[in-house]
Amino acid sequence: MAILEMRDITVEFSGFVAVSGLSLGVQQGELRCLIGPNGAGKTTALDVICGKTRPASGHVMFDGADITQMEEHHIARLGVGRKFQVPSVFRELTVRQNLEVALSRSPGVIGNLFRFSRSSAAEQLDKLAELVGLDEALDAAAGTLAHGQVQWLEIALLVAQDARLILMDEPTAGMTAHETQKTAELFMRLKGRHTLIVVEHDMAFIKEISDVISVMHQGRLLAEGTVPEIEANEQVRAAYLGSGGISGA
Amino acid sequence: MRTYPLWAKLLGYGVFCLVLLAVPLFISDDYLLNKFARYLVFGIVALALSISWGYAGILNLGQAVSFGLGSYCMAMALKLRTIPIQTGAEGLPDFMVWNNVKSLPWFWVPFHSYAFAIAAGVLVPVILAFLLGSFVFRARVTGVYVAIITLALLVVVNLVIIDRQRYTGGFNGLTDLEPLELFGVTFDPYAVATYYLIAISLAVALFLGLAVVHSKTGLVMQAIRADETRVRYFGYDVAAYQTFALCLSAGIAGFAGMLYTLVMAFASPTFLAVPISLSIVIWCAVGGRTSLLGSALGAIVVTGVQGSLSDTPAFLETWTLIMGVLFIVVVLFLPRGLISLIDLVPFGRRTDATPARAARRGRVSVR
Repeated sequence: MAILEMRDITVEFSGFVAVSGLSLGVQQGELRCLIGPNGAGKTTALDVICGKTRPASGHVMFDGADITQMEEHHIARLGVGRKFQVPSVFRELTVRQNLEVALSRSPGVIGNLFRFSRSSAAEQLDKLAELVGLDEALDAAAGTLAHGQVQWLEIALLVAQDARLILMDEPTAGMTAHETQKTAELFMRLKGRHTLIVVEHDMAFIKEISDVISVMHQGRLLAEGTVPEIEANEQVRAAYLGSGGISGA
Repeated sequence: MRTYPLWAKLLGYGVFCLVLLAVPLFISDDYLLNKFARYLVFGIVALALSISWGYAGILNLGQAVSFGLGSYCMAMALKLRTIPIQTGAEGLPDFMVWNNVKSLPWFWVPFHSYAFAIAAGVLVPVILAFLLGSFVFRARVTGVYVAIITLALLVVVNLVIIDRQRYTGGFNGLTDLEPLELFGVTFDPYAVATYYLIAISLAVALFLGLAVVHSKTGLVMQAIRADETRVRYFGYDVAAYQTFALCLSAGIAGFAGMLYTLVMAFASPTFLAVPISLSIVIWCAVGGRTSLLGSALGAIVVTGVQGSLSDTPAFLETWTLIMGVLFIVVVLFLPRGLISLIDLVPFGRRTDATPARAARRGRVSVR
């Protein structure tokens, strides 16, 4: 069943149509890649899902609930997590504190007044840090991490949040080939338990992880299919004209 | 900046509080003790600002609103106790008589009760902060705009109090108060009991604040300071956390205001004027706004130096200049305030026995 359904979404920024009539469905446990040339509206589509941007028309259904007009923190509580294009971790806090913030099952102010770090949570944090190879750096300030480590910390934050639907905007940007490889392995482990939508440009990475690719162009859904189907698609080739098709993107 | 384990902080805070409580054993001069008590009150109001500014990133330039309202709540209760002495059993507070007020205004009536006055001294600032926070943070106003709005609120409240002379005493404030009498103890401005009350209040505020900033709520507050938007996508209601920080800060500042009335024996519109409100920000900056103890110490040190300089004939004209230089030096060279000087103390080195741990400790740079 579709955990996420975008119906006829249109987004306008003072006259400029960023997304127009986008409809997209994603199945439970799926890893969906969202690709397209610059300005295709991929990031805007993620913004609409997590509540950062309100669409001019259309609806977003998550697990049967209409979340189109909900506030960001309500959408997050339903189980939608978001990683932004620009790495955004809490730089002044330690890796451990970052993860503690992300463990957000009880988000109330008053309840959290009486909640202090306990050993049960500590074990969970150690496991998470190990998953992304940050167990040595748990007490380091997030601001002192290397770029690739920051990207992984962000991924760990989303796992800690235990989001059912994880939205990833360019998770491998700026990573070395080796780091990208490790990230791909990590995503394969997340798939199934979590549903992922990944916006990416790195085709090698996409080929490794994706089941179904959705291609966006000029705010519309251009094509949808497996990697070979998309590679053979004439319309997609035309959209990427001059850049040698998606494989050269 | 090194990071200190909680037990080390508790120890440091505990030692500081013990020192405060020991002060009267060595000082028998009532006048001096009264001065120290005043500095400690400023310490409380500075640590209150540290919670909202240092931890949650809300620069409240109107902190003195809470301080002043607390002060007036206490003063109103103490003023009502003077009626039988000054104007007869059925009389009114003296300034109301001079202003031709015929009957006690409705909002003065409940202040006949100390319990009400003390509750109001905390709750009135908290309610005001709650209303302000609800509007400002729900509308996602951030940064410098919050500072401007809080400053505007300060000016408005100050003007209202000065303008409504018939009910507030106007420019003169509320003077000629009875000392507070509770549980058979008289809290005269020059009494040792008053000093102890204030020192214990500071200690309680320090440990209460420490408990809050070390809770999950305190952690989320710090995350909001670092990146408000990101916190939202974890499912936290950012506005609720910001409002909470503002309310907690206001409540503590209101309590400090009540204590200030006790040491000064009057309440004045200058308690909630712009100069003192900006001073609170300076105390926090000098002491170290991301440390509760640092902020309190900042207030005590700055007001202490200020007090002794302005009392010394040689510096009568120049003490503001010296304070200005101190402020600039600290901001330029100690961005984390005077409290960060503790990093220079080489204690605890021996615990870094293994080279690996020492190397790791070297990389760590969190408070």
